[in-house]
Amino acid sequence: MTTIIPFGPQHPVLPEPVSLKLEIDNDVVVGALPSLGYVHRGLEKFVDTKDYNQTTYICERICGICSAIHGITYTRAVEKLFDVEIPERGQYLRVIFSELNRIHSHLLWLGLFADGFGFESLFYECWKYRETVLDVLERTTGNRVIHSCSKVGGASKDLTKEHIDLILKMCDTVEPQVKDLEKVFVNNYSVKQRLVGLATMSKQLAYEAGTVGPTLRGSGNHSDLRESADWDIYKDLGFKAAVEKDGDCYARTKVRINELYESIKLVRNAISKMPNGEIATPIKGFPTGEAIMRAEQPRGEVIYYVKGKGTKNLERLKIRTPTFANIPSLLLTLPGIKLADVPIVVLTIDPCISCTER
Amino acid sequence: MGMLNLILANVSRKPATRLYPFEIRAPFEEFKGRIVFNPENCILCGICQKKCPPDAIKVTKDEKKWELNVFRCIMCTECVTGCPKDCIIISNERAKTGAKEYIKILVPKVDTPKAAPPK
Repeated sequence: MTTIIPFGPQHPVLPEPVSLKLEIDNDVVVGALPSLGYVHRGLEKFVDTKDYNQTTYICERICGICSAIHGITYTRAVEKLFDVEIPERGQYLRVIFSELNRIHSHLLWLGLFADGFGFESLFYECWKYRETVLDVLERTTGNRVIHSCSKVGGASKDLTKEHIDLILKMCDTVEPQVKDLEKVFVNNYSVKQRLVGLATMSKQLAYEAGTVGPTLRGSGNHSDLRESADWDIYKDLGFKAAVEKDGDCYARTKVRINELYESIKLVRNAISKMPNGEIATPIKGFPTGEAIMRAEQPRGEVIYYVKGKGTKNLERLKIRTPTFANIPSLLLTLPGIKLADVPIVVLTIDPCISCTER
Repeated sequence: MGMLNLILANVSRKPATRLYPFEIRAPFEEFKGRIVFNPENCILCGICQKKCPPDAIKVTKDEKKWELNVFRCIMCTECVTGCPKDCIIISNERAKTGAKEYIKILVPKVDTPKAAPPK
């Protein structure tokens, strides 16, 4: 006989409310039914009342962790409507801020994940290291998490020489710290006992379930939007996607740790190659037509659809966030695992619920 | 062994946290703490009101009043960059806890554009 127990909306491992109704048979999950909609804020509709420049600030507030990338993707989508090319320095600045965002997002996730399997000291270590990144972001952009670094037409913040020195110094301190963390996450016996072979998804299954980001790459699919045609700049910076073959929780953790190194490398390369000059081009007029922009967030692929009708407001803004694409994979991976492992599996997709519900 | 080193290092290291109310970290110079309005040069053009994304600023020309809703302000600095007379600056000091919701400032005088003197 099966029992149904609720997992969430309030649960110690969940930073945000998502509810999973778990069908349990003798401590083993048989089925799961997710339900969303606890933190819907109606931001897509709210766009109707603001002009397209002000919408950047709304988009940045969709997510507290990957705010910069939300803003950058939105501005790229609107720039597509205007068909403008932004100055090269602006593009490099966007890369730097989005990669710094990715570093702090992944460090946050590693900490939450460690907390999920009961390794509290590792959780504090991860979050301690994250603070150095946040301090640098605060000193360069003026805010800890919502940076307002992008605007339609380019970047809104320029980096001075002192800022660049700060960022490079931060990279030098964070890289050995990530190496220390990697030693524990990859080699520690108890961590491996919890993660290896848990919730395995084959390459085909991950692709068919429509997963994105580290969840997809952890199963051996080579898919990273930073390698796509929309983001040419990453090619010049020597970007290589982190891919692992195993498809279990351990592989997804390794993907994220490797992405940390990749992001640090990208920040360094972007700073060394960044040209001088203008950071933004002035844009006049109102957007018309429709455009789609995709970008790689820390959690995976985000899709922005914008439609303008020649007025100052956009007619429609539609966002597909990575967590929305990753939640269906939970329904495939949760059956067959033990109840005690459910928090770990839920955390490996890096759920960001406020993002998903907007 | 790595963990042992870490433990020993952490024993001799000072705490990572601060005793908050007694020891307050000075804000960074670049930190966006609060909006400071200097009414002397203001011409009540209302550009800050138009640019403000959360509609926190209200400019009333008749009453010569500049009003900011502190609770609504999101520190985007659109008003700071948009002000033609550089009346609005951003300070790195945080708004104090228990601060009033509205800041209302009367603008002392408004420069009316004068006709060009006859040649």
